[in-house]
Amino acid sequence: MNHGRSISRRRLLGGLGVLGVAGAAGGLTLGRPARAGAQQQAAALGAQESVQDALRRLFGSRPMKDGAGSVTLDVPLIAENGAVVPVGVEVASPMTAANHVRHVYIVADKNRIPVITRATLFPESGRAFVSANVRLGETGDVRAIVEQSDGTLLQVKREVKVTVGGCGG
Amino acid sequence: MADIGKVRIRVPSTIKPGDVVRVRTLVIHPMERIERDAQGKIVQKKYRYIDRVVATYLGKTVAAFDTTQSVAENPSFAFTFRATDPGVLKVVFHDTHGSTWEGTADIRFS
Repeated sequence: MNHGRSISRRRLLGGLGVLGVAGAAGGLTLGRPARAGAQQQAAALGAQESVQDALRRLFGSRPMKDGAGSVTLDVPLIAENGAVVPVGVEVASPMTAANHVRHVYIVADKNRIPVITRATLFPESGRAFVSANVRLGETGDVRAIVEQSDGTLLQVKREVKVTVGGCGG
Repeated sequence: MADIGKVRIRVPSTIKPGDVVRVRTLVIHPMERIERDAQGKIVQKKYRYIDRVVATYLGKTVAAFDTTQSVAENPSFAFTFRATDPGVLKVVFHDTHGSTWEGTADIRFS
């Protein structure tokens, strides 16, 4: 793992180009620090924070049910390149005005900015399916959190192994 | 970089009325990540990334995405909608520097 990690760092540096060597190395050795210096401009949805803080900020203490029966999270087991990881979420839902999926959140636990996207769906969507290409900084859980029109929250998560991280500094 | 803002939309070649259609869309955009200086401090600047994507069909929003910098470069999204009438599917991308780009696809029944 150590070996693989040093290679991945090198490839990451080569690939990024934009970051100075010192800057990138500094960023990597720091791990995931500094909520103090969090970016303000990312505003409501994304911030540099831990995933616990992110979930508390978005959902408060609302109960979250296991969505294993109805939510399908389509992620690769191993992502060779963390810079582009396709993530798909499909929810079994009738998508009627009375009962539909309102939001689908995609969250990566280990990213500096854990909340990746919030998709908003409507009955006109016809089916509760979304997918997006996301960045993953390192190996960790990827969660899909589904908010239904009656306010119920469903969560599923799966671990994705990342060979080369894609979030950079 | 010159291609920034180029929007691509893919819809199935044959659509029947009432079908739920799966659409893929992509925009060329750098989605700048947070940069750090030699001390590991975050460089404070207005990062340019897409923070909102809205898809409309027959004037109604069918899907919307709020996104952060954790979304990949040249972001690609997929969603579905129910094709009821011929019309235009429009996808608009907004970024943090105030630019917007849009792409359209004609929905026709064969």
